[in-house]
Amino acid sequence: MSERGPDGEADDAGAPRDQAAGEQPAGTGEPFPRAAPDSRSVLGDDPSDGTYVESQVIMSTVRVITPFAFTYGLFLTFHGGASPGGGFQGGAIVGTTVLMIAFAFGIEPTRDWLANTVVVGLAAAGVAAFALLGLLPIVGGGRFLEHAVFATEFDVPHGKKYALEGVEIAAIMPIVAAIVIGLFFAIAAGFVGAGSPAGTASEPSAESGDDATAAGGDAE
Amino acid sequence: MAPGVIELVLFGFVLATALATAAFKDTLATIIVFAAYSLGMAIYYALLLAPDVAMTEAAIGAGVTTLLLLLTVAKTVRPGRDEVFERVHWPGILVAGGLTVAVLVTVAEFPAVGSPDAPIWSHPEVTQYYIAEAYHDTGVENAVTAVLAGYRGFDTFGEAVVVFAAGVASLVVLHSEVFTRE
Repeated sequence: MSERGPDGEADDAGAPRDQAAGEQPAGTGEPFPRAAPDSRSVLGDDPSDGTYVESQVIMSTVRVITPFAFTYGLFLTFHGGASPGGGFQGGAIVGTTVLMIAFAFGIEPTRDWLANTVVVGLAAAGVAAFALLGLLPIVGGGRFLEHAVFATEFDVPHGKKYALEGVEIAAIMPIVAAIVIGLFFAIAAGFVGAGSPAGTASEPSAESGDDATAAGGDAE
Repeated sequence: MAPGVIELVLFGFVLATALATAAFKDTLATIIVFAAYSLGMAIYYALLLAPDVAMTEAAIGAGVTTLLLLLTVAKTVRPGRDEVFERVHWPGILVAGGLTVAVLVTVAEFPAVGSPDAPIWSHPEVTQYYIAEAYHDTGVENAVTAVLAGYRGFDTFGEAVVVFAAGVASLVVLHSEVFTRE
């Protein structure tokens, strides 16, 4: 209750950056004075990473669920022309399976396994595939994205349908999946760098004397 | 069409989780309740015969958004754990309540779901065209997909490029942040 003192009126936004900027003189003089009492991680107390706890329950569950979720995402994508679903929904689910794997087995091992260049390359390839499916009809004498040209000029059986499903499968699904995965990795990596001044093991323990609950977490 | 028991229960659930999202002080509780709200909305969309929207809401609203917010909370701090609920902020409640009342007033003017007087039926030759001709024009049975990737494929192409550009821009900005702080 004492630590609420000067800012009791205006702290409902709760942004750590605002607190750090506005409260620094009022606190102990340490950087990020308000961050320390509350800085326990939601998912674990490991100060080096803070997001990963090895859990047999989570790992076993993800091991069982992931193939089914991945297959369901692919089904929604490939079957989006004949039933509810499509590349956007399927891509989101395919991307989420990678997020589940990262939560169960650690983000850094997952990043090593799925490099950033692969993720960004997947999204770029999706845009390129969409553009290609749009430009090829021009080569055949039609207009941009005029999928009927695939059947009439290039003699592709069911050309209209396959071109449209190609947009779903080769363009929208990879873009959505890659952006979901990329944002997840970017938040994971971006905050390691940005939070490192206050998030390293030494500095929070230096000010842990201010707060009994934080001292309990740092005691080991 | 009078709402059935499922609709009423679901409406109560969505309303309760929406209010709880605003009321909870703890960020983690807010994220979890917000995920439950998205799940309720997804079921609502499915009941309203919009399964494509329901899947998107479930995957993006309840799934990806929750994971990204959880990761953000795990990576930063978790402010405000002294009280269970936010303190009542009367000016904010006044503004939000006024806005809610103003929007609710317009609900009475809406045509009933499926009513033949609905504006969507004022030009049936347009709306019926896509339902009747989607398979013939595009070769796929799902009219939503036919419109999304076929009839308005150019707009979807623009959207895909926007999503790609926004994602890559976020990656670039977050990476430069890492470089400048190290």
